[in-house]
Amino acid sequence: MPNADARRTVPGALEVVEIERTFLREVGSVFWFIMNTFQETMERVQQGRAPFRAASFFRESVRAGVDSVPLVGLVCFFLGLTMALLTGYQLQRFGTERLIPGLVAIAFTRELGPLITGIMVAARIGAAFTAELGTMQVNEEVEAVEAMGIGPLRLLAAPRMLALFLLTPCLSTVSNLAAVFASSLVCKAYFSIAFPYFLDLVKDSLLIRDILTGILKSFIFGLLIASIACYRGLTVKGGAAGVGTNTTSSVVTAITTVIGCDTVYNVVYTNFYPT
Amino acid sequence: MVELRDVHMHFEEKKVLQGVSLEVQPQERLVIMGQSGSGKSTILRLILGILRSDSGSIFFKQFEINRLNRRKLQQVRQHIGMVYQYSALLSSLRVRENVALPLEELTDKSRSEIDKIVDEKLELVGMQDSKDLLPDELSGGMRKRVALARGLVLEPELILLDEPSAGLDPVIGSVVDELIISLTENSKVTSITVTHEMESAFRIATRMAMLYEGKIIEEGEAEKFKQSKNPVVAQFLSGSTEGPILEGTPDAIRKK
Repeated sequence: MPNADARRTVPGALEVVEIERTFLREVGSVFWFIMNTFQETMERVQQGRAPFRAASFFRESVRAGVDSVPLVGLVCFFLGLTMALLTGYQLQRFGTERLIPGLVAIAFTRELGPLITGIMVAARIGAAFTAELGTMQVNEEVEAVEAMGIGPLRLLAAPRMLALFLLTPCLSTVSNLAAVFASSLVCKAYFSIAFPYFLDLVKDSLLIRDILTGILKSFIFGLLIASIACYRGLTVKGGAAGVGTNTTSSVVTAITTVIGCDTVYNVVYTNFYPT
Repeated sequence: MVELRDVHMHFEEKKVLQGVSLEVQPQERLVIMGQSGSGKSTILRLILGILRSDSGSIFFKQFEINRLNRRKLQQVRQHIGMVYQYSALLSSLRVRENVALPLEELTDKSRSEIDKIVDEKLELVGMQDSKDLLPDELSGGMRKRVALARGLVLEPELILLDEPSAGLDPVIGSVVDELIISLTENSKVTSITVTHEMESAFRIATRMAMLYEGKIIEEGEAEKFKQSKNPVVAQFLSGSTEGPILEGTPDAIRKK
């Protein structure tokens, strides 16, 4: 029946339009959130005053950065171990196991280190930021800050955003080192590649460009994760249930954004530097 | 000092304020009464510029709140103190940090000056012994007092109080009311209090206003209020279940 088909397609199309509209609205909102936070913070700097409390920035840095080192390090250590082991056995069949150090080092510095770090930071810290700010929003603490004449974005979001922006590249470096170290253990134990030779192979294959691109990516991921988490936290509505919903949404959005942004970054990057 | 002119406000389908006009003179203690959900707290948020009205004008001194940009609004808010119904203290900060926050963020005072002011304000509300506690470690009455100290720390010209004695036992409620009276008298601060607790309202008020169905239906001195012929005001003050307030509501139908 053609009419029935038409009835089915129209709502489908409308749903797609609605999803697109929601997506664009959300992207726009996060963009304006970043701009407003930056503007509020810079206005304060122009007045010759500290943009936010140093203690607040250091507390968030410890929580987001230092406290995440064991988790990020451990996960990337295991990933590096597995990657070296599995690729090693395949390469050994062709007698090219000396490619393992370069393969792991390039894969992690350019791609896996920032990506895995981004995903873990989004899950661990993004959720914490959203839940914390969401609870403050529900308890009228954010409104109280606003009522005092203090910019809540500058006071609450800016230190968190700056902490994650600066600490994600550091965590990414930790993850790279952990993975390379793990692969060096595998190379020594299974493929008889001694540590000095392993280091030479890593140095021969790695380019400064590989390291820089990974670090640049991490800065972007850190900013995006923090912005999404703070935005979701400060827009919580509907009490405790709202905090739960926005926390889940924050983690899902941040992880999806990190992966999507990574893909776009790689497409653009490989266009400029094909090798 | 504060003037609302024909203010309208709605949330989704619900019209909360339908032409509210109100004037508050300097050093007055105005109490706005009304049922729960009648829009009393909305009026306070409109004066602070946290909510924007659909139409009408709100003035604080010479400033029209709805027309101010973000920066100017932040400056105006520094002259207004607000005490929330559930205190809204920052849960991660200790009592003294909560009270010191506006001073640290908005003034150029030195650490020793800030400490001195914080001690003064905490002493004023009788909380000097609890300054190192976290809000979670305080009772409801103590939190209200700390919130009052925070609201007064910038020496505002106007203080807004949202249900100051709600959820407190009668004795502590009276203590908080007396504190509001003495603070406003000593510091020459104008106050607007919203409440639906009669005893507290009559204790605090120098003038009262009754908000009903989005409009101010009665306004005047406390004594005039007690003798009001308006059936809504009379029912509200007596707390009777007979009268126009419950007419047509599920509560009235259940009663029949």
